[in-house]
Amino acid sequence: SSHEYKLNFRKSKEACLSYIQDALLQKQWKRAAEFLTCYVESLEKDYSREHIGPSEMIWRIGTEILWHHSQSSMKEFNCFMEQMKTLGVKRYLKVCLEHVFHLLCNGQIDEAYQNLSLAESWRFGEQTAIQDKEMKLIEAYRGLLDYYSWSKQKNILLEHSEDGFSDLAVEQEMHSYFRKAAVNLKEIIKIPGVWDVFVKCYVDLLEFYGDHNEARQVLNEYAYNSKFPANPNAHVYLYEFLKRQGESKKSLISALKILHDIVPSHELMIDFNTMLQKSKKRKKRRLGLEVIFAALDYAGWKENAKAWSCLARQVKQIVISEKHLDWIKQEWNSRKDWWPAFHFSRYLAKRNWQENKSLSYEKALVAGILLGKDCKYFKYVSHQGCKAQLKRFRMLKKFVNRHNPVYLRISG
Amino acid sequence: MEFPAALFPSYFGAGPPREEGGPAPVAGWGEHGQVLEGGPGRRQAQPAFVPRRGATGERWEAADAAAVPVLLPSAGCWIPSPAPQDILYRSGLCRKLRAGKSGATLDFARQLGHFFVDHPEDAFGSLGQLLHKNFYLGNSKLKRPARNSTIRMTALVEDIDRLEARRGCPRQHLASRLRWFSHLCRDWLFEVPLGLLADCLHEELMQQWSNLLFDDSLTGGALAWLPPEDGGTPVGRLVHPGGKAMSHLYFQDVVLEELPRARGSPAQFELSGRVRQVAAARVDGEDFVGVRSDYHCGVWRVPGRTGAAPTPLQVIRTDVPASCLTVSPHLPGELSVCTQSGTVYLWSVGTGLQQLRHDPQTMFFRDHSPWRWSDFTAHPRVLSCADRTGLQCLDARAPKKCHFDLFKVGEEAGCQQGERVVLPMYLGRAHPSQYLVTTQFSVYVLDERLPLVPILKWAHMMQAPPLFAHLLPGNPGRSHQVLLGASRTQELLLLQYRGKRSSSRGGSQSACQLAGTPQKLHSIGGCLQHLPTQLPHCQHLLQQRLTAPAAGLAATLQEDGPHKSMVVFQLSEAGDVFCQRLTHKAAEPPAPPSRDEPTTAPGSSPLFEAPASSPQGLAAALRYRRWLRALSRACKESPRHSWHPSLSQRRLFTRRDLEGPAGPSSLQRQMRQRLHQAMREGGRIQRWEPLAVQPPPLPQALEAAGGPDPLSARLTAAWAGDWEQWWEERTSFNMAQRQRALRERRRRQKRARGRRSLSASFTSSLTYQSELSELSDGGPSLLSPGHPLVLSQEGSPPAGSPAVRSPPASPAPDEALLSSQSLRCRGIPKERRKTLRDYLSVWTEGPPEPPEPPGSQASQLCIPSSQSQLSSASQPLRKRPRMGF
Repeated sequence: SSHEYKLNFRKSKEACLSYIQDALLQKQWKRAAEFLTCYVESLEKDYSREHIGPSEMIWRIGTEILWHHSQSSMKEFNCFMEQMKTLGVKRYLKVCLEHVFHLLCNGQIDEAYQNLSLAESWRFGEQTAIQDKEMKLIEAYRGLLDYYSWSKQKNILLEHSEDGFSDLAVEQEMHSYFRKAAVNLKEIIKIPGVWDVFVKCYVDLLEFYGDHNEARQVLNEYAYNSKFPANPNAHVYLYEFLKRQGESKKSLISALKILHDIVPSHELMIDFNTMLQKSKKRKKRRLGLEVIFAALDYAGWKENAKAWSCLARQVKQIVISEKHLDWIKQEWNSRKDWWPAFHFSRYLAKRNWQENKSLSYEKALVAGILLGKDCKYFKYVSHQGCKAQLKRFRMLKKFVNRHNPVYLRISG
Repeated sequence: MEFPAALFPSYFGAGPPREEGGPAPVAGWGEHGQVLEGGPGRRQAQPAFVPRRGATGERWEAADAAAVPVLLPSAGCWIPSPAPQDILYRSGLCRKLRAGKSGATLDFARQLGHFFVDHPEDAFGSLGQLLHKNFYLGNSKLKRPARNSTIRMTALVEDIDRLEARRGCPRQHLASRLRWFSHLCRDWLFEVPLGLLADCLHEELMQQWSNLLFDDSLTGGALAWLPPEDGGTPVGRLVHPGGKAMSHLYFQDVVLEELPRARGSPAQFELSGRVRQVAAARVDGEDFVGVRSDYHCGVWRVPGRTGAAPTPLQVIRTDVPASCLTVSPHLPGELSVCTQSGTVYLWSVGTGLQQLRHDPQTMFFRDHSPWRWSDFTAHPRVLSCADRTGLQCLDARAPKKCHFDLFKVGEEAGCQQGERVVLPMYLGRAHPSQYLVTTQFSVYVLDERLPLVPILKWAHMMQAPPLFAHLLPGNPGRSHQVLLGASRTQELLLLQYRGKRSSSRGGSQSACQLAGTPQKLHSIGGCLQHLPTQLPHCQHLLQQRLTAPAAGLAATLQEDGPHKSMVVFQLSEAGDVFCQRLTHKAAEPPAPPSRDEPTTAPGSSPLFEAPASSPQGLAAALRYRRWLRALSRACKESPRHSWHPSLSQRRLFTRRDLEGPAGPSSLQRQMRQRLHQAMREGGRIQRWEPLAVQPPPLPQALEAAGGPDPLSARLTAAWAGDWEQWWEERTSFNMAQRQRALRERRRRQKRARGRRSLSASFTSSLTYQSELSELSDGGPSLLSPGHPLVLSQEGSPPAGSPAVRSPPASPAPDEALLSSQSLRCRGIPKERRKTLRDYLSVWTEGPPEPPEPPGSQASQLCIPSSQSQLSSASQPLRKRPRMGF
């Protein structure tokens, strides 16, 4: 019966697909390609209402094979992609985008640009939400490529101006690239998402043309709009922008403070700490201590000598001045049950000493103050340092011994 | 650690997932996803772009044609888990129903029937005995006086048989006789109220079925590899469960040679429950190994140096099954535990448990699964906790106040409808703030500094959800390898990703990319096609064993100068550990001409045609031969387990006890002859003096190789006739002997563990797999109807009444035969009744029999296991196994 026929057809289709899948997962591209030529027949009776239909499967599998097949060429790939674009209306934009990505990764920027322009002008009835998103992305990538052309022209212009003559045509062209790029980039970064590249390029454009207010607004929006994900880079870009603008310490600190609140382990926390330590205000110095303690809580910072030296410097300062010992005490309170095992074990003392002497020096100083002179880490490192006759470590031992009462006050 | 200077572009939405989805067979291919400007800088005229997916990766090639066993199979046969055909309804009607999209139909009636047949005493015990006289199962007509109080059941049984034959017939009508019978006795016949019993059975069936569809208790895997210390000898340790009930924990030294091989005998611990998960982490040069079974979690410490013995540190017990145990990579002796009630604990060996959260509800939307998971994050005091709907991170210092959402099944991560979290894993060894989340459709890599937005996403296309994952971190600048493993299908997939530091851009981290194409690795079952053909039943057993669901995954990188290789271990539910080696080839060039393998027929692959003549192929073949031999030996060692055990009472009683007056003995014949002769001769017999009256010869020694145990000594003594003397010795209070006997019995019990057939265990008991070690193993099948005890057939009182041979197919009355009453009325002396019970209890290895009260009329069962199962039926289903860590 026809029903049975359909069933068998479906079955053989599935079997074929599983062979293809098997070949792909074992990197047997040739074998996969041969099966795919058989699988194309499945297009003929495509009644499926499945999530991914045969035409999409052929597109995906074919692309994958052509990426890896030893005998495939870019020309063949382009040809295949063109065919795939016509195979399904719903997927046209998606296939276009992927085609462009491949061209970009292979350095064919101009072809990519052409494809983007072509895709941009494509219209087919009512657009679905997904197609809308894809269209926006296509425009944004075109904007990005326009930006690169702009920056190329800009570099030419800058070189020329160094030579002392200006080229009006180049300048004209550059401005037109700017307009095209700005329009498209501006659009996409309004939509919630992660648009690091687009934002960076757009801000670069605006800054070049002196539109700092717009740039600031864009960056503020990107960093602080609650509809956007909490992207640390948004805050970094804002901070870098403010720095470039020569903004006051206060606004820099407030930008970094927010970054500290969302990502206490960000690498900018060292800069933040240095900035705060230099401050005259007690409150800021206090925040600096908090920042560096919080950063060192994270496993990624465990062996960061720079961070430990920041902490060591500030702790030393406080101990010498004997003011604000309560700051250390407060920070230490929530850490004293796990920092000793996390940072100051005998095993780590040995390893740090072997791998990085200056790290072990900074850590030993902090350990000696926080845990007293009998702490394992300090004892091991100072002993090794004295044995190796390093003056630094002898001084360290003296310092810690002299200030041992501090430890009692902190732990008490 | 640096954050990538720029991330790949992506949309960010909120709310429930919008994309309609389902398992898509090829969804992971042919997509770059996004591109990002990167690579060799902007100095050049053109920007260079890198794709999110599709960058070239490292090239790993399998060294062997199939996975090779690492350890020899343990003695004793493995008990396979129930298969769908064990609990599904099989008939034409059912197929029709299933075509109508009603899903699977559980064969409830069959299971209930099994229970009645296997445990008649539990099902109908008291009324069965009361009505014993009123039910007649013979074929002959009943006589007049009996007919008043007895009914003939034969017709009823015939009706039932006919009903069975007509099952699935559309014009099926209940026989009226059956209907009135069931109507009449439904309320009072059953020992356990039928409704209650049915509820329990149904719940158990549903549970078993859902376990068959997806068993999440194995999440995380029960295999761990403890790598050797840096620069040490290439001897690591494999931590894996074993034994018939997977309740033993082994720490096995393994030498990483071309083929990894076990060295020495493993350190072994016997636990009380089935080991579900083994997790390990190395802190300060010491390994901490966490082991989870349903109601207990334990932690072991393994010192770093090779050969040091593992020491158990602490055990905790939970009231509800634990679903997760992870070991902190930051602090020694810290673990996190989750239970199915939604409680998350931070467990430190020194200070005990700290409850972080208790919420039986799921986090982001409602999901029925009680599964919970938790793991560590970059901050040693911040733990992630997960359910099927997503992940949250909590600060252990203030768990109520400080938390943030790390992953949500929703539009944020671009999930599909119906997508659920299967396994989260902290990727700290690759990058301190990265996290892996697998769902049944995709894998995600997350960065806790940018929560909710996955930095990588890829549709993995695996047929079963990946329950196991293993990370092999690459050196800085190299790609990291992630292995994903599924349980039921044994799939193993190798992925590569990198978030490498590009030196050209000021040392900042570049965004994460998936590198290379995913690669399928050998599964255990894949070796089947390379093995020599066996006899059909052996082949079947082998296939069953090799295709058992996977239970764990571990891997290690081995660097030997320029040669780099990866050894992947896979554990199966049968307790087998197989391994495969992948060798690293120079970085994958864009399109090397040599990479394409010649085309082969479907189903076969050139990999499988690895040269058998090469020394390595030979070693693997040898390894296989040894493994196969050991397997067949292990299965043959206990051949009687494959059959229903039957007892012959010939070994239990003297002939006098057993012999019915069926025929005249030789002695009688002799006497009769002499009498005849005397009568013929007209003489008389003065003395009955048999010529040669000798006790029957001793039977062959019964004892096993282990020497005569007290029981056989006793029986032998009884046989030889000097039993009384033996009894004297016995009753003289000989403490040492008793203790020895007790020890012996315990040893036997242990040995006998795991002998029951699984289908019997499931159909007859309302208990869980985890209680396997607790249950009596041989018990349930002992009473199966097909093989009734021989004892019951031939036992007859020695007093000269004519022996009535009952038909063999009436199990219900027979059960009472072992009660003290029936034994007594069979003339078996009281003290020997005890012997009989002891003997039987050795067989069934249930809890020890309570001492028999003098003159007890109560019918005590000799097979106590069924009693314990009965009680389980009326209690809440999940019983706690005994403590034994």
